[in-house]
Amino acid sequence: MYLSTRSILQSAALVAAAFITLSAALSHATVDDAHGFAMEAAMPFVEQGFIVREDYWNGEVKTGQKLMIKHQMFKGNEYAFWLGTANEGVTFELKVYDENKKEITIDAKSSGAFASIRVNPPKTGTYTIVFSLTSKKETGLYWALAYGYR
Amino acid sequence: MKRSSLYQMAVLTAATALFTITALCAQATSTGAQQFDPLAFPGNVVDDVVVPVPSEVFSVLDKLGEPNWRQELRKLDLPKTADRTKLALMFGMVVAEGFVAVQAEDKEEVKDIGREVIDLATALGLVKSVRPHAQAILDAADKEDWKSIRKEFDLTQKTVRDSMEQMKDVDLSQCVSMGGWLRGTASVTSVVTKNFSADRAELLNQPMLVEHFISTINKMGSSMKEHVVVSDITKGLATILSRMEGAVDGFSKDSVRDIGKTCDSLLNGIKAAK
Repeated sequence: MYLSTRSILQSAALVAAAFITLSAALSHATVDDAHGFAMEAAMPFVEQGFIVREDYWNGEVKTGQKLMIKHQMFKGNEYAFWLGTANEGVTFELKVYDENKKEITIDAKSSGAFASIRVNPPKTGTYTIVFSLTSKKETGLYWALAYGYR
Repeated sequence: MKRSSLYQMAVLTAATALFTITALCAQATSTGAQQFDPLAFPGNVVDDVVVPVPSEVFSVLDKLGEPNWRQELRKLDLPKTADRTKLALMFGMVVAEGFVAVQAEDKEEVKDIGREVIDLATALGLVKSVRPHAQAILDAADKEDWKSIRKEFDLTQKTVRDSMEQMKDVDLSQCVSMGGWLRGTASVTSVVTKNFSADRAELLNQPMLVEHFISTINKMGSSMKEHVVVSDITKGLATILSRMEGAVDGFSKDSVRDIGKTCDSLLNGIKAAK
C-alpha cells in the first residue's frame, strides 16, 4: 500500500514536471519560433529559386490588430513574403499595396502557423504591406515577416 | 470633474466612430482590386525598415542586360583607424563590395573581401561572431558557390548589426546599413550610366530609403551626428533625395550621374585616412 502510494506520488510528480516543462515551452513561444515558421513557409519558394533575406521584421501584436510596413521593391524582381507565428489557431491577413493604393498581392496562401504571398512590383518604389493575425484563444501574438526575391 | 470625463468620453467615442467609418469607407470602395488608404489606416505602423541588399538591384540589372561586373569592382584600400563610426561605415561598404564581387563571379576578390571582413570585425571587437560567416565565405569561394556566398554576406551584415544593437550601439548598426547602401547605389549608377535606359534608371527610385537614413541620422546622438563623415553623409543624402524627388517623369542620365558622384564622394570620405 505504501509502495503503491509512493509510486502514485512519483507518477504525479513526473506528470506535473512534464506539464510544467510543456507549459514553459509553450509560454516561451517567441519571435524566433515565429521566424522559424516563416522560414518553413519559405522552403518551397527557395526550391523555386527565391533568395531569402536574412533581415526580417518581427514583434508581438494584439489579435486582430492591423500592422503596416513600408518596403522598397524593384521592378523586374518577383518577391515573396512569409508571415509566421509562434501561436496556435491563428488566421492571417497579408496584403501588399502599390503607391496608388491598389492591392497587388498574388497567390496568397495560409496553412497552420504561416501565410505567404507573392508580388510582381509594377514599378520600382515604396510599397505598403498590411497584415494581421487573429486568434480566438490568445490576445498577444508573436509574429515574424520575412521576404525573398528572384 | 464628472462632466469633463463625460465630455472626454463623448469626444473619444465620436473620434473612434469617425475613424471606423473612414476605415469602412476605404474598404467599401474596393470593387475587384482592393484600395488602401494609409491615412485612414486603423492599425499600427512598424517603423523598422529592412534595407535591400545590393544584389536585389543587381539581379534586375542582370535581367536587363549583362553588365560587366568586373569593371565595377573597386580596390579595397582602407586606412587603419580606431574610429568606430568609420569602421562601421567601412564594414557596410566592404560587404556591399562583396555583393559586387559575387555578381562578377570573381573568386579571388571574394576571398580578399572575406579577409577584409575579418579585419574590420576584429577592429570593431566583433570577430568572434563574424569569423564563422567569413570562413563560410572563404570556403564557398573555393567551391565557387555564389549562392552560398551571397547568403553569407547577408548573414555577416545581419550578425554585425545585431551584435551592435545588443551592445546598445544602434547608431553604429545604422552606419553599417548606410555604408552598404552607398556602395551598392554607387555601383548601380555606374552600370546605369554606362548603358542608360529608363528601366535601368528607375531602379534608383528609392526616396523612402534615403528619407529613412536622413531620419536615422537626425535621431542619432550628438557626437555621432556631428562626426564629420556622418555630417557629410547627411548633406549628400539630401542632394540624392532631391534628385530622386525631382525625377517625376523618370531619371535623366545627368541625374543618375549626379547621384553616382555624390555616392562616390561620400565613399571617398569614409575611406579617407582622417
